[in-house]
Amino acid sequence: MKADFTVDASGLTCPMPIVKTKKAINELEGGQVLEVLATDKGSIADIQAWAESTGHQYLGTKEDGDVLKHYIRKAFEGEEKEEKKHDKTIDNDGLKNKLDDNITIIDVREPAEYAFGHIPGAISIPMGELEDRMDEIGQDQEVYVVCRTGNRSDMAAQKLSEKGYNVINVVPGMSQWDGPVEKSE
Amino acid sequence: MKVAIIAANGGAFDAYKVFNIATAAAAADGEVEIFFTFEGLNLIHKEAYKQLPMPEGTEHFQEGFEKANVPSIPELVEMANDLGVKFVACQMTMDVMGLTKEDFVDGIEVGGAATFLNYAKDADITLTF
Repeated sequence: MKADFTVDASGLTCPMPIVKTKKAINELEGGQVLEVLATDKGSIADIQAWAESTGHQYLGTKEDGDVLKHYIRKAFEGEEKEEKKHDKTIDNDGLKNKLDDNITIIDVREPAEYAFGHIPGAISIPMGELEDRMDEIGQDQEVYVVCRTGNRSDMAAQKLSEKGYNVINVVPGMSQWDGPVEKSE
Repeated sequence: MKVAIIAANGGAFDAYKVFNIATAAAAADGEVEIFFTFEGLNLIHKEAYKQLPMPEGTEHFQEGFEKANVPSIPELVEMANDLGVKFVACQMTMDVMGLTKEDFVDGIEVGGAATFLNYAKDADITLTF
């Protein structure tokens, strides 16, 4: 699981995992992923509650023996309020109906978000790597871009269409996705 | 989230209840103020807070605290300070007990009942320990 930063709170009790998480997240940029190592079983519930009250995004937890690995994505300031600019969009249901048509889906979320659940067959190209990896995407087809809420994919759609791709932004995206989901390591 | 806490008791268990909730709230970007009154003043008293008594008959939990690696009260106080938790000591109780600001950990303020009420009047969460 790819994370930008790891903080070790293993062996520590409540409230230390939360306090350490708070201090670590201050060092991250918006969009980066924090990995928190903990052995306090209460941290599973606490990290999620903490994320809910602070507005950061809880991605999930992996168990590795006695160690719990929590993944949190730091929110951008005003993340939910950005205006969408790319005009070609499709809603989640629309995309669900096209899944059998062998379409190209690009998931521009962070690798850890992708790993905890993505649309089967979606290709992971995190937003930050898009410029460098654009040539992996064929020009001869429609490209559906998806993220969590439709904001990052909107930015990706604008970038791709500037380069001549036929792009459709999926709104809102994975936060409301109720279609098939695949997980990876 | 705005949190107002009254700490009115001076045992080790009381201290954990107060400081665990306070640091957790501050770590979740909450604004936190603790009003220390009567025995609660022990929780921030420079000397007393190093050795707060366990409730009678529970001394055997001491081992459990150590085994679980629970932070000490001075550590929790420092952490709460770092996270911006505001400590207010009750002037009236200080006068009764003959204590001055210098008897307490650094960074505290001194106030009375009205100070706490003014802070707590629009708090989302008010707790008494």
